[in-house]
Amino acid sequence: MEIRVKCGCGEDECSEWTIVELQGVVETQSSFQGSVQSLEIGRLCHSDSSQYTFTVGYHELTGSKVTLKKPLLVLKKLQKCTDGSSQKETELEVVGIIRSKILFKTRPKPLFSGTSGK
Amino acid sequence: MEFDIPLPEELELLEANSYYPEEEDDDYLNFEEAPYPFPIDGDEEKKEEEKDPNHQISESNGCKRPRSLVSDPIVNLDEATPVSGKRSKINDNRVEMEDEEWLRLSPVKEAVNVIEEEEEVIPQETVLSRYASEIDGECFPVTAPDGGDRVYAKFSRSLGDEEVKRFDLKAKSNGLIKDPISVLLQQSEKEAFTKALQISSEDQNETITTETSVMHERLWVDKYSPSSFTELLSDEQTNREVLLWLKQWDASVFGSEIRSTTDEVLSALKRHSTPSHRQKSDSAFTRKKEFNRWNKERSTYPTNSDVSNSDTTDNHDLLNKKSKLVGPPEQKILLLCGPPGLGKTTLAHVAAKHCGYRVVEINASDERSAAAIETRILDVVQMNSVTADSRPKCLVIDEIDGALGDGKGAVDVILKMVLAEKKNATGKENVDNRKTSSKKERRTAPLSRPIICICNDLYAPALRPLRQIAKVHIFVQPTVSRVVNRLKYICNMEGMKTRSFGLSALADYTECDIRSCLNTLQFLNKKNETLNVIDIGSQVVGRKDMSKSLFDIWKEIFNKRKMKRERSNDASGSEAKKFDFLHSLVSSRGDYDLIFDGIHENILQLQYHDPAMDKTVSCLDCLGTSDLLHRYIMRTQQMHLYVYIPSLVIPIHRRVAQIQRPTIQWPKSYHRCRTLLVEKQESLRSWHHKIPPYIGRHLSVKSFVEDSISPLLHILSPPTLRPVASHLLSERQKDQLASLVMLMHSYSLTYKNVKLDPALSNLRESVASDTSVLALDPHLFDCISFKGRQIKHHVLTLAMKQVLVHEVEKQKILQASGGRSGILSTPEIKKISPDSVRKTIAASNESHRNPVTSKPPSISVENAPTPKPKSGDVKKASRNAVNFFDRFRKSRKDYEDPEDVQKRATAKRDSRPLLFKFNEGFTNAVKRPVRMREFLL
Repeated sequence: MEIRVKCGCGEDECSEWTIVELQGVVETQSSFQGSVQSLEIGRLCHSDSSQYTFTVGYHELTGSKVTLKKPLLVLKKLQKCTDGSSQKETELEVVGIIRSKILFKTRPKPLFSGTSGK
Repeated sequence: MEFDIPLPEELELLEANSYYPEEEDDDYLNFEEAPYPFPIDGDEEKKEEEKDPNHQISESNGCKRPRSLVSDPIVNLDEATPVSGKRSKINDNRVEMEDEEWLRLSPVKEAVNVIEEEEEVIPQETVLSRYASEIDGECFPVTAPDGGDRVYAKFSRSLGDEEVKRFDLKAKSNGLIKDPISVLLQQSEKEAFTKALQISSEDQNETITTETSVMHERLWVDKYSPSSFTELLSDEQTNREVLLWLKQWDASVFGSEIRSTTDEVLSALKRHSTPSHRQKSDSAFTRKKEFNRWNKERSTYPTNSDVSNSDTTDNHDLLNKKSKLVGPPEQKILLLCGPPGLGKTTLAHVAAKHCGYRVVEINASDERSAAAIETRILDVVQMNSVTADSRPKCLVIDEIDGALGDGKGAVDVILKMVLAEKKNATGKENVDNRKTSSKKERRTAPLSRPIICICNDLYAPALRPLRQIAKVHIFVQPTVSRVVNRLKYICNMEGMKTRSFGLSALADYTECDIRSCLNTLQFLNKKNETLNVIDIGSQVVGRKDMSKSLFDIWKEIFNKRKMKRERSNDASGSEAKKFDFLHSLVSSRGDYDLIFDGIHENILQLQYHDPAMDKTVSCLDCLGTSDLLHRYIMRTQQMHLYVYIPSLVIPIHRRVAQIQRPTIQWPKSYHRCRTLLVEKQESLRSWHHKIPPYIGRHLSVKSFVEDSISPLLHILSPPTLRPVASHLLSERQKDQLASLVMLMHSYSLTYKNVKLDPALSNLRESVASDTSVLALDPHLFDCISFKGRQIKHHVLTLAMKQVLVHEVEKQKILQASGGRSGILSTPEIKKISPDSVRKTIAASNESHRNPVTSKPPSISVENAPTPKPKSGDVKKASRNAVNFFDRFRKSRKDYEDPEDVQKRATAKRDSRPLLFKFNEGFTNAVKRPVRMREFLL
């Protein structure tokens, strides 16, 4: 069966996304109340030697960029009402293409400062 | 009895031809003439056979007799003599024969004569043939000794014993003849040799015959070496100790059979306790004598296992008087050391043999590689031979100090074995303390045989580890009289005329080196000279190359020889001799620096008369000179200057030498001092690296130790500080404490728990009687503490020190966090505009200061950080920085800025809602199947 995918942008200019793969869970602090939306998760830094550091909370993760074997497409499902009001047509629009992921698989390094905790 | 020999003449002719193709016709003639009488004489074959060997021998006798000056033919004759009984039987025949022979042979020359003789025999030798086909019946091959010729001998079953003997004899004699050319050559050579010998001996000396020269092939040293334990010349005490040690192995080596005997002896053992050997020697003497006799009787037999067994049982009571222990000895290795020629090796061999061991000697000087030595040692120690001589082996490693070539081969191997065993033993002891027997078996598994090591120099560096685990016996010189007695006995046996005075002089000269004495005597005997007392020194006395041990050299230096002084009539000559002697002694040894170290170590312990300290001063002067020289040589590598060092010993000797024996110690102080120096330097250097560079650059370790340690220590331990709670301190004291903490921190000094050193506690006023004491981390006190000098510095109390430790730690943490966060929080700083940074810093300096510092709830003094912000404008303080505290404050300021930012950062971070939780071990990635319709709908 054929699934039609619509791509707004050109073949080359398709925006490239990247997966950030963590071995673990990003949680909210127990004391935190409120909405999770629009919270800053952490800071992702890229140093020269293909090393990525990702700082979440008081943890620093170190990871590297891995090229995916099969690239992934990020699609957006659009439902349009075309002809009649009853008939809905689904459209898949390409948002981006994922060719690589940044993998953080090592144990995070805790960040301490003398005054903060202990 | 069918010993029938085909006697066809053609055959013989053929044979003869095949053997001697080069022979001339004359011989054939002779040969043809000769055999004919035989068939005529003896009708029966057998008779002829009987005759045959005798005839041949007598003939050879006859032939050889004229040439009997040769020593070897005589021996041959002796071998042949057993047949003489038969010879008499057919005497008449032979006489006839001989007559005939002689008549015939007399005109012929000797060379021809020999050929004749051989020719003569061949016809009679009918059983033997070159070709198997020529012998009918069974035959077996006989190959000549040199492998060149093979003959086939007829095999006759009906031979009786006599016949066999005869046959053998004949074969033998024939075998000699089978090789005519080589034999001829040999004989002619021998003739020439004996002629030459005769001529030379006639020229030289009539009395020395060739016979004696042959007999004296053996060295006297070997000839008269002690074959039994009681003949040993070395010190009785040492001998017994060695034997005792060996006997202690019995239980483990020989098993229970010997132990049963030891049990019954045990009662006697208790009565005869060890100490008095001298008393026992009387009772032992008779036994010794009979033992000697017994041994001589036995000595004709080759030593085999039963001899040794009876040996052990026979002397068991004698041996076991000494043996107290039944188990294997504590130390598994025996180390015999002493100057050459005292009989160390002999003792080891004799004692081991005596105890029923088979001696296996390894000469460590020969085999250099560790692997080779290891395999040999392991072979000996762990294997048991299955062959005839199944006595347990005893390893004798001779000259083990020579084994220091490749990684000290033998020593290492032995050490490894012994140490492995010890480990084993300690492990086992924990497991089973009860079963001693089984434990013993397992313990002895790695090293189950005694090892005797022999060395000349006990203090050879290679032997140092061995010395610690081995049982050491030092050989002392036997008394001169004992040596002289033995020498005299030997001389009597050899028929050499000597006087005991000369012998004692010789023994004295060689320092009781028996080997050298005997060699000298034999040499003189050979030369047929008598021992001359006067020129013993000039005579060639064979001495083993000996460089004395260091201790001997020091002894020589510090000790004045009584005998020499008495003997010397003219002082100058003896002095010169002494001079020479010392010089050569020291220069042959070579370790000049060590020798001088030893002198330095021991010279002040000597008791010499020196009221004005002149001698001491001049001696130390000499030592100083040697030091300078040594240093110069080392620096410029001009090794030839070493020549001048040994002479420095001589003035020292002349100043301080005493008659009484000095107690000499190995020089340790230099080494100790050196290690201490290195250790302290190391600690100071590492400390110096820990000091922040802006302070450390003003310090060099050397000048610090020399100049500023003592003032610094004064500063570090002010007497006014009291160990009380911080709120009880006055403002001034608080300041003082704060500054002290800052100082300690900036110099990265702290107090540390140290195990109480007994030596140090004497020097220092012992702060606490606990085992651990708080001491300054780099041991600054040690750098200024000298022996016998009290430190005048005030020492802080333990409580005060604890307070200081705490404060310094806190300070350190504060500093560290400041520095760290500064780096971490840089991005955040960037966010804030530079202007606002200034402001916030200024603000935070005021506002955040107090909450931060008041955080620690302990008794700690908060003053440490607080005064700084309060002291006014930070910048101003840094401007007029006079002492390093101010300088430090300036640097503090740099640290403080990020710190405040950090405070906010942490606050912000704490408010950060998201945390990361690491899932260990597996990926938690979600893989969810997606249906196609989800795309479509």
